Amino acid sequence: MTRLNLTQARMNRRSALTGLLAISASGALAACGNGAGAGQTAAESIDLLRYAKPTKFFSDAEIKALSAIADTIIPTTDTPGAVAAGVPDVIQGLASEWGDDNFRQYWREGLRRVYKSLSGETKFVAMSAQEREAVLGAYDAKVYGGETEDGFYRDMKKTVATAYYMSEPGATEELAYEPVPGEWIGQAPISKYPKTWAT
Amino acid sequence: MPDFDAIVIGSGISGGWAAKELCERGLKTLVLERGPDIDPTTDYTDMMDPWEYKNLDRISPAEADADYPIQKDVYVFFESTKHLWVKDSQHPYAVAPDTTYQWLRGYQVGGRSLLWARMSFRLSDYDFNANRRDGVGVDWPIRYADLEPWYDTVEEFVGVSGEDHDIPQIPAGRYLPPFEMNGGEAWFKQKLKTSHPERDFIIAPVANLRRADPQHVELGRGACQVRNKCFRGCSFGAYFSSNSATLPAARNTGNLTLKADSIVHSIVYDPDTKRASGVRVIDRLTKAATVYTAKVVFLNASAINSAMILLNSATEDMPSGLANSSDQVGRNLMDHVAGAQVTGRIPGLHDSHHFGNRPTVGYIPRYQNLDALDRPYKRGFAYQVYANRAAWTGDRPGIGSAFKDENRMPGDWWVTFDPYAEVLPYADNRVTVAGSLTDAWGLPAPRISATHRANERALLEAASADAVAMMKAAGIQDLQINPVEPSTPGNRIHEMGTARMGRDPKTSVLNKWNQCHDVDNLFITDGSAMTSSAVQNPSITYMAMSARAAHHAADLIEQGVL
Repeated sequence: MTRLNLTQARMNRRSALTGLLAISASGALAACGNGAGAGQTAAESIDLLRYAKPTKFFSDAEIKALSAIADTIIPTTDTPGAVAAGVPDVIQGLASEWGDDNFRQYWREGLRRVYKSLSGETKFVAMSAQEREAVLGAYDAKVYGGETEDGFYRDMKKTVATAYYMSEPGATEELAYEPVPGEWIGQAPISKYPKTWAT
Repeated sequence: MPDFDAIVIGSGISGGWAAKELCERGLKTLVLERGPDIDPTTDYTDMMDPWEYKNLDRISPAEADADYPIQKDVYVFFESTKHLWVKDSQHPYAVAPDTTYQWLRGYQVGGRSLLWARMSFRLSDYDFNANRRDGVGVDWPIRYADLEPWYDTVEEFVGVSGEDHDIPQIPAGRYLPPFEMNGGEAWFKQKLKTSHPERDFIIAPVANLRRADPQHVELGRGACQVRNKCFRGCSFGAYFSSNSATLPAARNTGNLTLKADSIVHSIVYDPDTKRASGVRVIDRLTKAATVYTAKVVFLNASAINSAMILLNSATEDMPSGLANSSDQVGRNLMDHVAGAQVTGRIPGLHDSHHFGNRPTVGYIPRYQNLDALDRPYKRGFAYQVYANRAAWTGDRPGIGSAFKDENRMPGDWWVTFDPYAEVLPYADNRVTVAGSLTDAWGLPAPRISATHRANERALLEAASADAVAMMKAAGIQDLQINPVEPSTPGNRIHEMGTARMGRDPKTSVLNKWNQCHDVDNLFITDGSAMTSSAVQNPSITYMAMSARAAHHAADLIEQGVL
């Protein structure tokens, strides 16, 4: 019961927020419509929206490479994979509006190097899913087996996993997520709660 | 006529209790809080889902370096909770050469009562007798019997969930039902009973409402929802904070005036009456100065700030600071010390899982130097014990559906012993005025000089060795033994001792009622008052002392003494 009420409260809060945003946006437009002309105001608004977008650090080609790697680490199975969960967008966001130049350089150089290691005559992005799994699987085994030292690869894999398991599909479909458990059961058979808790 | 009957400086965990008690005794009470007010609907972030956090809830390196170079290392510091911690860029302090200090703070209504880890253990006479027994520091002027009824009062109001037990070094309190052990903890408890029957293992009593009783519900508090997101603020008011409990209770009396954004500059001392006549305040936003007057003043600004206010209240008559004829103000700065974790894998138990995110952990109470002082070090240590099945991680071999499957299934059981040790009072671990360094309001910044020493290291070395022995005896495998490295002073966020209680005005600042020996209408009931640090998490003791001292102050006002 508590759970339902809370979910309802959260939805109400979200609806209310969305409503407020809508009101203030139209209010702003209406206020600007005075004198200068509504058409110009609308155009300005569109420009503002465009310029408000953060500059994207990773190129489309880099995102394509990152997406191919992320989706091979966490593919779509009976639940969504890394790309479907928005993992590349999160990493693009970290590099574009969050990280400093050290972070950006670390990721650009690391990504290029890993990608090069994974690509032969056929580039990694051009491989079939099966080929990607074989190539990346072999590389991963070398890193975790100690044959290849690659701290960036480990960091990238950790970031991909964190972004995935914190995403809505990662938390709620792949793992088990209870935002408001409401009770504590210290000992229960695994058959009752078979999945890892998301948080 | 003074403006108020009482002024309380600080709205945190101890100030809230002083305010509640004074207000309930019918005294018009002004609470001064240096930080902004808190609005739970916007300042608490407990209703966010993980995918709503910006940038994986990590603060950007540039912002962390610029504004939070010290606070950023707090274990519950996140992008979405950073507003509950101070900007180091606005609140500078100096440290002595070859020392470091992590001063971790939240300046807002409720202070760090919004951020505390909520473990609530009573001190015992092993602690109140400690200085007298081994000759370090001065004797506490109180014993357990003095505080016991106030622990009762405070615990019932706070709502502490804990198991009943018979462990004399952490006397059991008036507890709500406990949060039960998980499978790994129950397993270890049995093993410890066999290998070390004289040691105990319990779930740490915690200030979360396992059950909301009528007196809690009356204040708008609800039962704990078992999310373990307490550091985000609790929209249910289910863990104790000034915001959820003491300030609403004080407000209900009609006697409370709460002023946020009011930075205390100093306490005004009247040399004719030899009493504090009021408090000088700087408005955080306008920097306007005001003086408020009252019959009694409670200083609850937290150990370092309370000492600084006393030092900054120096007059021609009292050049070394207010209430400082003993020269003990600012000295004996203590914390607890950690830094000797041992982790291992519990074999088996793969059929056991849990539901909910319990807001507390396991605990092995101190078992050293109790009835016999028979160890090669002074005092003792206790362990927080974290036993859980491994959750998801990106740092594991493998990719693809196998990687997903391994994360989807709960992993092996792992257990970490995290020892916390007592820190001795050293006269030269101290807070002084830094000199020319000031904050944005022109107030002098502190200079902190604190180091952990041979006894603290010896405690941790012993704790590490004992942890290994207990784990091996239990059959715990794959031990990972962290090298012993004492935590940076301040890191445990238990700063205390800077205006200690004592029997002799020549060697202590406060008497047995937390009343300044030198200024009898000035009371200090935050961590400053601690004569020794004990090993228990201290907040519930600050609360009991605050309620007791405020009750006594109200008695003195009623009797016409103050």
